[in-house]
Amino acid sequence: MTEPVMLTVNGIDYRVNVDMGRNLLSVLRNELGLTGTKEGCDDSECGACMVLLDGQPVNSCSYLALQAQGRSVTTVEGLTPADGLHPLQRSLLEQGGVQCGFCTPGIIMSARALLDRNPSPSEEEIRIGLSGNLCRCTGYAKILAAVAQTASDG
Amino acid sequence: MSFMIAGSLEEALTALAAGARPVAGGTDLVVGARQGKAPLPTSLVAIDRLAELTQIEPTDGGIRIGASVTHARLLTDPTIVSDYTALADAAALVGSPSTRNVGTLGGNVMNASPAMDTGAPLMVLGAVAEVQSERGSRTVDLSDLWTGPGQTSAKVDELCVAIDLPSRPARSGSAYVRLEYRRAMEIAVVGAAASVTLADDGTISDGSVALSAVAPTIIEVDGVAELMAGHLPDAVGAAIAAAVAEAAEPISDLRASDSYRRHTVGVMAARAVDAAARRAAGEEISVPVNRAIGVGASR
Amino acid sequence: MPLLTESKHFIRPDGPDKVTGSGRYVADISLTGMLTAKFLYAGVSHARITRLDISAARQVPGVFAVLTQEDVPERRFGSVADRTLFAKDVVRFEGEVIAAVAAVDAEAAQQGLDAVVFEYEPLPAVTDLEAAIADGAQLVHEGWADYEAADVERDGNIASFTSMIRGDVEAGMAEADHVVSSRYVSDASQPAPIEPRGVLAQWEGDRVTIWSSTQVPFQARDGVCETLDLPTNRVRVIVPHMGGGFGGKCGFHYEAHVAALARAARRPVRLVFSRQEEFIAPDRRREGMIIEITTGLRNDGTLTARRARVLLDNGAYSSDASFFPHMAAMQTLGPYKIDNIHVEASSIYTNRQPSGSVRAPTAPQACWALESHTDELAAAIGMDPVAFRQQNCVDTGETGVAGQVYDEIGLQDCIREAVSAIDYSQELDENEAIGVAVGWWPSFPGPSGAFVKIDSDGKGVITTGAQECGTGSVMTLPILAAVELGMEPEDFELVYQDTSAAPYDEGATGSQTILNNGRATVEAAQQIAVQLKSLAAEKLEASPDDIVLADGKAHVAGSPELAVSIADLAGVAAEGEMLLGKGSGTPPEYPSAVGVDCIGDRGLSGWVGPQFSCHAVKIRLDRETGVVRVLDVSAAHDSGVIINPIGASGQVEGGVLMGIGQALTERTVYSEDGAQENPAFLDYKLQTIADAPPIRVHFVEIFTPGVGPHGSKPIAEAPNVATAAAISNAITKLVGRPVAQLPMTAERVWGLMQGRGGG
Ligand SMILES: Cc1cc2nc3c(=O)[nH]c(=O)nc-3n(C[C@H](O)[C@H](O)[C@H](O)COP(=O)(O)OP(=O)(O)OC[C@H]3O[C@@H](n4cnc5c(N)ncnc54)[C@H](O)[C@@H]3O)c2cc1C
Ligand code: FES
Ligand code: FES
Repeated sequence: MTEPVMLTVNGIDYRVNVDMGRNLLSVLRNELGLTGTKEGCDDSECGACMVLLDGQPVNSCSYLALQAQGRSVTTVEGLTPADGLHPLQRSLLEQGGVQCGFCTPGIIMSARALLDRNPSPSEEEIRIGLSGNLCRCTGYAKILAAVAQTASDG
Repeated sequence: MSFMIAGSLEEALTALAAGARPVAGGTDLVVGARQGKAPLPTSLVAIDRLAELTQIEPTDGGIRIGASVTHARLLTDPTIVSDYTALADAAALVGSPSTRNVGTLGGNVMNASPAMDTGAPLMVLGAVAEVQSERGSRTVDLSDLWTGPGQTSAKVDELCVAIDLPSRPARSGSAYVRLEYRRAMEIAVVGAAASVTLADDGTISDGSVALSAVAPTIIEVDGVAELMAGHLPDAVGAAIAAAVAEAAEPISDLRASDSYRRHTVGVMAARAVDAAARRAAGEEISVPVNRAIGVGASR
Repeated sequence: MPLLTESKHFIRPDGPDKVTGSGRYVADISLTGMLTAKFLYAGVSHARITRLDISAARQVPGVFAVLTQEDVPERRFGSVADRTLFAKDVVRFEGEVIAAVAAVDAEAAQQGLDAVVFEYEPLPAVTDLEAAIADGAQLVHEGWADYEAADVERDGNIASFTSMIRGDVEAGMAEADHVVSSRYVSDASQPAPIEPRGVLAQWEGDRVTIWSSTQVPFQARDGVCETLDLPTNRVRVIVPHMGGGFGGKCGFHYEAHVAALARAARRPVRLVFSRQEEFIAPDRRREGMIIEITTGLRNDGTLTARRARVLLDNGAYSSDASFFPHMAAMQTLGPYKIDNIHVEASSIYTNRQPSGSVRAPTAPQACWALESHTDELAAAIGMDPVAFRQQNCVDTGETGVAGQVYDEIGLQDCIREAVSAIDYSQELDENEAIGVAVGWWPSFPGPSGAFVKIDSDGKGVITTGAQECGTGSVMTLPILAAVELGMEPEDFELVYQDTSAAPYDEGATGSQTILNNGRATVEAAQQIAVQLKSLAAEKLEASPDDIVLADGKAHVAGSPELAVSIADLAGVAAEGEMLLGKGSGTPPEYPSAVGVDCIGDRGLSGWVGPQFSCHAVKIRLDRETGVVRVLDVSAAHDSGVIINPIGASGQVEGGVLMGIGQALTERTVYSEDGAQENPAFLDYKLQTIADAPPIRVHFVEIFTPGVGPHGSKPIAEAPNVATAAAISNAITKLVGRPVAQLPMTAERVWGLMQGRGGG
């Protein structure tokens, strides 16, 4: 059975029909065409699917779409400015924190939530803030540097 | 199949009476369904936004934490961090920032995993669960609440609405320590919580220890208060470790063998007692203890 | 020739796509009418199929196609041709595909799978390596001798075998003052790229286009052609953005299954793996190993002889694993000077997931064993392990284990740099230690091609078969073209990983892109350089030989003011003879290895452009629990001249962290009957950012002639060789003996401290 719901994603209201068990990730990707958010695992461990729900990070793969009603969802597409790049996106590129890029949107969303909460995090705070995002390519050094650079650039 | 976001506690209780299951953050329920552990219930009522369930408020005899309070809030709430520190230690270790952001205390307690992190702290802090249904409300001791892995004594129509914690004695401290192979995103291989109260002379006057992941449910270790009473905190580590190893009934699985669990839970307990005692003496050990003192090995 | 590291720091061209989420990976692409594919897996490690009935499945509403081996040509593939697309008669590991379904959505596909009738008679599962080679062992491939494949010796469960003999081992042992024997056992591990694989196929007439997350598009194409009987020009494999591979996406995998489904269903069909499938099904895990090494040495540290026996868990099928024994043999010998050697290595069939190339196949495990053993050797004569390596490791002009003389190598510099960067002689807490290990890895020359063109506005396009799975070829190739043409890397776009648009390339495998596709790109660019110089010569009234291409201009040597812009020249060329270059070059030849007798030779005794490394790792041990944390790493690498510093250091950092995972937390646990017990990230533990130590990367940049462009050597796999070994040596310093089991889990370290286990 599907239910009609209103979801607010990146500031746009969408009316979609979803069944109860549907996760938010699947709705974002398959109904709304927002494929920037990735799916990397079955058990909520990788963080590739990270989005913001009222500004806080959530693993969209294991969050019921119906539970997002009345909340504001932000994906990597919503974070990207109309012109150019968000500072986090820019510093990730400058520092070389992107290799295959599959973890990148999730990393950006977690980092954004961290910096919103704590504009000048210590290195340890960055590590804990991003600990739910696995990256197999980079060894994290350049990701850490990119988040630190974004913070210090203000 | 039905799904409802409860607008009030009454609405939620009515839905439960009609057969719906509660979902708070869904970090156990939805993840479990996705992994194929258990299918999603056919009728769900979301309780994560109920104002009645999301308060942390002082009571006459202590503090009341709404069941839908998230781990993220627990680990930053000033009262919890200062007075019920073991609970903050545990909340800070749960999953990742996103897990803590939606995962709730009520969900952790009612999911009743033997490896849950908040259980042992709640036990040593003397918590009771308030459960409510259309039929009325009652309080349940945690040792009566958890009946087995994933099992509670709550009836299907009962909602856990809050966890009540008594106020803390003077010169007391608490801590929760768990064994982890990585510094984040771990499930407790074993874990131990301790509460310690000091006498004026610096010896221990009272205390308790509870354990995670070494039995079908969280267990409190008998006889700990007697074991510690009158001793300086420095002197009790070995005895605690031995008593704990005795009380544990661990299993062997992917994450560890029974003998390794039995040994390490003793180590964790001794460290929890030490951290709790230092906190009782006024030392600042930041939350979570794991990262402050570097369990298994600091950076 | 100047080093290239100055000013070649630019933003990866695919970067903006990746950070904004606009870049499409396979799972992000959908086509009108597209169906969802799902596979039915054996779910049992060894069994004879007694009934396989798909008739009910074909009737399930929403199901468009159901296929089994009956529906595809009878073809065996793999390095020893031991495999068919779908299970035939017998299933040999739990993740073997039995049937495939294409349906309107995942739910219908699942219902289709549920309706397949699959009955079987269990056979004993072969899971123990020693038992598998004992007389009378249950065979994994009963009818193996009859599989049609060229020149493969078939012997029981031994899927492939190599022996290397040089000098006289007996005599060498007799000369020794000490003979040290060790036995090491490594568990299997996984590549675990964060993107689970996807394949999408669409037919138009008799041509099929396949979008696949493969590291090796041409190999994937050839696999489709071979198993479905199609000519190469009817099959086009395109790799969109790719979310990491680490070898896991090398080889030919599911492209043919999906293409066959799409043909049968007359609709586009897409397969996207779940994480669990990504763990269980692909023939690409890092093999478990048993490594026994005996070395003779004299009191002065001279190595007199080495004997070794290596058993590798081949798994149920051989994918590309038949060169592993030879590689493991070389890794067990290491970059040392020993004249008397005898190594035997066998890859043994078991009823487990097949092994296949995962980043530096065989190296992390074998190097871990060898280098742990090397520290035992140093201890036997009371010598510092670093000094011991400085004495025994090969240097420029010296002869290595296989009789090859190495010229222009930087191993000794790597040791010096790694040790000094970590401050080896620092004061350490009693629970801390620094371990050091050296590693080596060959380069793999091969054919590769590229086209380069410059259009009328002076902007270029490189069309190449090269693959980009995060490795950085999108940066390196433009840098190389730009250097040849005096342009900027930003002036080039890439059209890549498309088998119909571009010439052949082996793909992101064996760290070969710089070496082979780099060579091809340079040659293609050079052809354009010749064209530009002659156009400029005409314009500037000079000889083409005197024209220099630099800073976007062609100028007369010695007179930079006599210049014309490349854009202007390109405008002229666009009106007539266009600026088009093509290249492939000649791959370097394998050097000879002298005096080695090798049975089962895979041509890997003589190495082209060997890459060397030294990793030094500082750890802290929690003595009460056995938990080890890595506090600091220094990694020094000789990969020749570094063309793309940001990409190269990213490879090292990623490789080191993968090595830390392999050392401490990553392992696939098998049940008694061969099933994986932890096919999920919850219990297959990759390192998180909270665990990642600082990694000090140092490149010993030695100009290496005759390998890659500009004196370069490859870099992608080498960083994954020595880290676990260095960690092992640090642990040994704290607990007295090597853990001798990989990964060196907390419980194993603790067990060793309790007097259990260890080497
Ligand atoms: C990646 C990841 C990491 C994790 N790490 C940890 C960890 O380190 N430590 C740990 O302890 N846990 C961990 N968990 C488990 C989980 O996050 C916690 O148990 C969390 O507190 C569950 O809360 P929830 O609100 O999400 O529960 P839900 O999933 O919403 O509910 C869990 C169960 O409790 C029931 N329930 C929920 N609320 C109530 C209520 N008020 N009354 C009655 N029944 C109720 C639900 O019906 C369901 O059966 C992890 C989970 C994930 C996905
Ligand atoms: S896809 Fe959501 S955490 Fe991996
Ligand atoms: S860049 Fe590939 S997983 Fe992070």
